[in-house]
Amino acid sequence: MANQMNQGFNSQFASSRTSRRRFIGGSAAAAAGFALSGSFLAACGSNGTTNSSSSSAPPPDDGKPASGSLRISNWPLYMADGFVAAFQKASGLTVDYKEDFNDNEEWFAKNKDPLSRKQDIGADLVVPTQFMALRLKGLGWLNEISDTRVPNKKNLRPDLLNDPGDPGRKYTAPYMTGMVGLAYNKAATKRDIKTIDDLWDPAFKGKISLLSDMQDGLGMIMQSQGNSVSEPTMDTVQKAVDLVREQKEKGQIRRFTGNDYADDLAAGNIVVAQAYSGDVVQLQADNPDLQFVIPESGGDWFIDTQAIPYTTQNQHAAEAWIDYVYDRANYAKLVAFTQYVPVLSDMTDELNKINPKLATNPLINVPDADKARLHAWAALTDEQTQQFNTAYASVTGS
Amino acid sequence: MAGAASSNRQRSKIAPYLMILPALAYLAIFFVIPFWSLFRTSLSTSGGSVYLPTLTFAWDFANYGQALTAYQDQIIRSLTYAFSATVISLVISYPLAYAIAFKSGRFKNLLLGLVILPFFVTFLVRTLAWKTILADDGVVVHTLGSIGLLPSDGRLLSTSWAVVGGLVYNSMTFMILPLYVSLEKIDPRLLEASKDLYSSSFRAFRKIILPLSIPGVLAGSLLVFIPAMGDFINADYLGSTQTTMIGNVIQKQFLVVKDYPAAAALSFLLMAMILVGVLSYTRALGTEDLV
Repeated sequence: MANQMNQGFNSQFASSRTSRRRFIGGSAAAAAGFALSGSFLAACGSNGTTNSSSSSAPPPDDGKPASGSLRISNWPLYMADGFVAAFQKASGLTVDYKEDFNDNEEWFAKNKDPLSRKQDIGADLVVPTQFMALRLKGLGWLNEISDTRVPNKKNLRPDLLNDPGDPGRKYTAPYMTGMVGLAYNKAATKRDIKTIDDLWDPAFKGKISLLSDMQDGLGMIMQSQGNSVSEPTMDTVQKAVDLVREQKEKGQIRRFTGNDYADDLAAGNIVVAQAYSGDVVQLQADNPDLQFVIPESGGDWFIDTQAIPYTTQNQHAAEAWIDYVYDRANYAKLVAFTQYVPVLSDMTDELNKINPKLATNPLINVPDADKARLHAWAALTDEQTQQFNTAYASVTGS
Repeated sequence: MAGAASSNRQRSKIAPYLMILPALAYLAIFFVIPFWSLFRTSLSTSGGSVYLPTLTFAWDFANYGQALTAYQDQIIRSLTYAFSATVISLVISYPLAYAIAFKSGRFKNLLLGLVILPFFVTFLVRTLAWKTILADDGVVVHTLGSIGLLPSDGRLLSTSWAVVGGLVYNSMTFMILPLYVSLEKIDPRLLEASKDLYSSSFRAFRKIILPLSIPGVLAGSLLVFIPAMGDFINADYLGSTQTTMIGNVIQKQFLVVKDYPAAAALSFLLMAMILVGVLSYTRALGTEDLV
């Protein structure tokens, strides 16, 4: 019995070092604080002034090397040990590295007012998910990243370079990509999970978790209904929301989660979860029964990107950081820790130097057959994002 | 002489106002102004840009109607959970506070310390610990299952039971301490007198201890009920998709949907319900003067 308890505690803490988005729940507590302070105060002011320019020009380049200090705001557990120190040594810059980016929408709710007034947000470089980065770009709140200051940009995967939302990657520098699929505990399911329909198996009643993020949660469900995430409409989104609502009312869905599904999956409270690939690679180390699968009807990609807010205090230092990250040898160290899919091309050699298992792991070095089943969401208009979020929140938040 | 005396008197008249000034300023800045702007938001219409909406004050009472109809399930659930948590907490805490106040002797301080001890651990961690304790494959569920108290596929985590349990656990100290204070103040000579008059112990409890501890019951109930009504952490971690409370809805509306008027209207509805509950409760217990 004591052993069981220990396992429970261990899994709780083991998973606490796993994943990058898992503090969403914790941040909810903090969010409660600011929801009652800044957010609505700001909301009540007459802050409806939108910066209509679509981008900001970076400060003129004086050609001098970066100096001073750099403040980075990244997701929790998204950094390799010793990486920041190595960068400081190589660049001579001082880095204030904070893991305070917990949730895209909450980050936006907290920072949009200072950003709209062009006030410092305490970070010179942030790592939002692509949809959020493109929203910031659309609001004119991002600085252009200088190509000459980031020569290693040439290492970027060509497919990422030509993103329709940011052609040539002038404003958003991909940091990690990952797959959104299904994770399951094979010891508990006693069978393979292959399709979205498997989620609705009565045997798993109350043991399923879905992601509360609209794109990550609905993407694979829309695809299972024969719809595409690259051309989403209110109808196709609503159809997916209706299915989720039906299953929720049946008691099939236990929770809508951020990264905190990892705890429940490890503890056996959840047997099949919508999940991020990197989390599962790390969880497998503790529990070999855990599997990650891309549903037959398709899963989706997410891309987290480095971006420089127009309130940055040190543009050149931020660019120096991106350039350092884009060095293949440096980047391999990051991938070895985060276990997500590299955004740089030809990483096999560098990954092999660290651990040959990395390069052969299909969740890090994704086979073409799997890639064919993965799709990325279209860049949504502001109105679409709002409508889709509202539709999904009517199920997840009630 | 006369002039000095009158200026002294004047000073003593001003002094109390000066003394409340810091607290008054604090309340004005951090309570009245946000409260007022939240109220205005709740009656505003939202328009313009999606991400930086312009809120126009428009006496839009429809926000309240919509919030009430859309989320009545969550409102009723929050009331039920908060009420249950308060009653359960009272039933568990009263005997404990009684024992500490009257029967603990030299262990009194130790016991009080133990009551407060869990609060040395942060709220979130304590709640997460319950996830481990109540886990589907955990000891508690297995034990209850094996003695037939839970059906074989039954669970505790992610049920209403777990949410109410979490609310009770996280708020019990706030019930125990006021109860203890009111019980501890009771003069033991009153009990001795009742014995001299051949009262039974139960009668002494009913006629002396219970009435004199009502202020503690009242204070404890308010300290448990009010935070429980607006809580969303317990429902988030210990509950399921079927146990969301009004706090979860408000959080989602503020941070994800960003429908500030709806969120503000819900917040006001929540405050109104708490106010009505508190007023009728204090009236029923006949201790208005204590609040």
